[in-house]
Amino acid sequence: MQEYFIIIISAVLVNNIVLSQFLGICPFLGVSKKLSASLGMGGAVSFVLIIASFITWVLQTYLLTPLNITYLQTIAFILVIASLVQFVEMVIKKFSPPMYKALGIFLPLITTNCAVLGVAIINIQNEYSLGKVMVHSLSHAAGFTLALLLMSGIRERLEDADIPESMRGTPIALIVAALMSISFLGFSGLT
Amino acid sequence: MNLKDQFTRGLVQENPLFRLLLGMCPALAVTTSVNNGLGMGVAVTGVLLASNIVVSAMRKVIPSSVRIPAFIVIIATFVTITDMLMHAFTPALYTALGIFIPLIVVNCIILGRAESFASRNTMLPAIVDALGMGIGFTVALVMVSAVREVLGAGSFFGLPLLPENIPALIMILPPGGFIALGCILGLMNKFQRKTA
Amino acid sequence: MRDILKLGLFLLLVAGVAGASLSYVNSLASPLIAAQILQNKLDSFKEVYPQSDKVVDETTTHLIPPHDPVIKEVNVAYLEEVPVGVIYAVETKGYSGPIALLAGFDIATARITTIKVLSQRETPGLGAKATESKFYDRYKDKGIDLALEVTKTPPLKENQVQAITASTITTKAVTKGVNAAREHFIAHFAAVKQP
Repeated sequence: MQEYFIIIISAVLVNNIVLSQFLGICPFLGVSKKLSASLGMGGAVSFVLIIASFITWVLQTYLLTPLNITYLQTIAFILVIASLVQFVEMVIKKFSPPMYKALGIFLPLITTNCAVLGVAIINIQNEYSLGKVMVHSLSHAAGFTLALLLMSGIRERLEDADIPESMRGTPIALIVAALMSISFLGFSGLT
Repeated sequence: MNLKDQFTRGLVQENPLFRLLLGMCPALAVTTSVNNGLGMGVAVTGVLLASNIVVSAMRKVIPSSVRIPAFIVIIATFVTITDMLMHAFTPALYTALGIFIPLIVVNCIILGRAESFASRNTMLPAIVDALGMGIGFTVALVMVSAVREVLGAGSFFGLPLLPENIPALIMILPPGGFIALGCILGLMNKFQRKTA
Repeated sequence: MRDILKLGLFLLLVAGVAGASLSYVNSLASPLIAAQILQNKLDSFKEVYPQSDKVVDETTTHLIPPHDPVIKEVNVAYLEEVPVGVIYAVETKGYSGPIALLAGFDIATARITTIKVLSQRETPGLGAKATESKFYDRYKDKGIDLALEVTKTPPLKENQVQAITASTITTKAVTKGVNAAREHFIAHFAAVKQP
């Protein structure tokens, strides 16, 4: 039980996927201007991340490792993620139009979101059991959504701030991210 | 557009990192030392060059409705080959870059160039484009990592520059990546505006 | 329908060519990678215990359960077929992740030769200084009569090791690994010197 707890704390706070591992920076900067959009993106990424972690783990454990073709890992994982994204998009469109309306535009962007592939590879590298894989990816999804929400909350207020012309947009967003990252450094050593 | 313009376009006007804001993840994660930044840049350039060549050569064969999955397979193949070569020949760099080598696969620069350039042009321009974009990205990575290594570790390419206790450690910690890139982008905007 | 079949076949073909070329490159690269990993290991052994002509992994003979889980490998260094030293591979938990290191012991003098950190995820510029040879020297040539302990000031006693500034946890983790190896060494090898 304690092990699981450590995984959760470590993934959400200490090794936050965006602020300390630098995965998923593109949506973190690109889709964090509005709170509602970032909620949608967080949801979509979490959804794909968790399913992708499960499928890639099964694929690695029951196909790639037994057949001794682990060198196909990158290619297999990215194909799984790309087709999963397509599939999820189709399913959501068919069965839950309101959800599609909320998440739809973010889904195609997720294929090239390195957070998804990154977590899938970290799962394998850490030699986690299936239970730990699920907890680990769930926590990273939560960590991603948390960082995105905090960021968009700040950026919505930043709109009215008086920022030097040349720092507007991405530069100031990066500085904000740096400050967030510094505060998350405070969590290190917690586990 | 002639070849020379195409080459410099990737270096300056459309620099993938500074202007197009692509490939941010590795630009922040592996730029703790100039060595790592340069290694990452060269790896990305290699993959970009190979994938641009193949995509350009196959552009008439690939059906347009399945072009994206086909590009992804091609890119993933070259990323895996790069991964193996680095593991065999540059083990220290391989360990330092770690997970960011397989993650080159999701680097938007490569898929972006395959889709928007290589699949619409003949091989020679595609090669020039890959070199321009790749070198532009490498130069950008080296700039970010030079700022971080000099300020954070007090050295350049591992050679000590500053006495032991002076460096601002924060610059090689995660926040330093955000600070360095943010400041460089800000300065670029300022500079750009003045010349324009 | 026929279109889908055709597209599917095309993708299958692309994936097949990709897979085939990868397996070819892999068959070329994997012996190189394996050789490089082995060479790396031998080089690390040499750094930790230089005066030997052969190092044999004797983990299965010497690491009898229940043993300290920190110890991962017991490698014995030989010089002209006589065991002269022991190189332990140990893994402990540092500040931000596992730290894997080698600790060498000399059988004749019953002292630590030196240590080498193989992998770590400590804070760059702080705990990551544990990979510098300056840090290894703090363990060099220590006796094994007493367990090592970490101090924040320059060591006064033989069994004290000075912590890296602002990285006491990292130093403690390394020391814990060395101490585990020390206990195993005392129990299994130190007796060899007294007939």
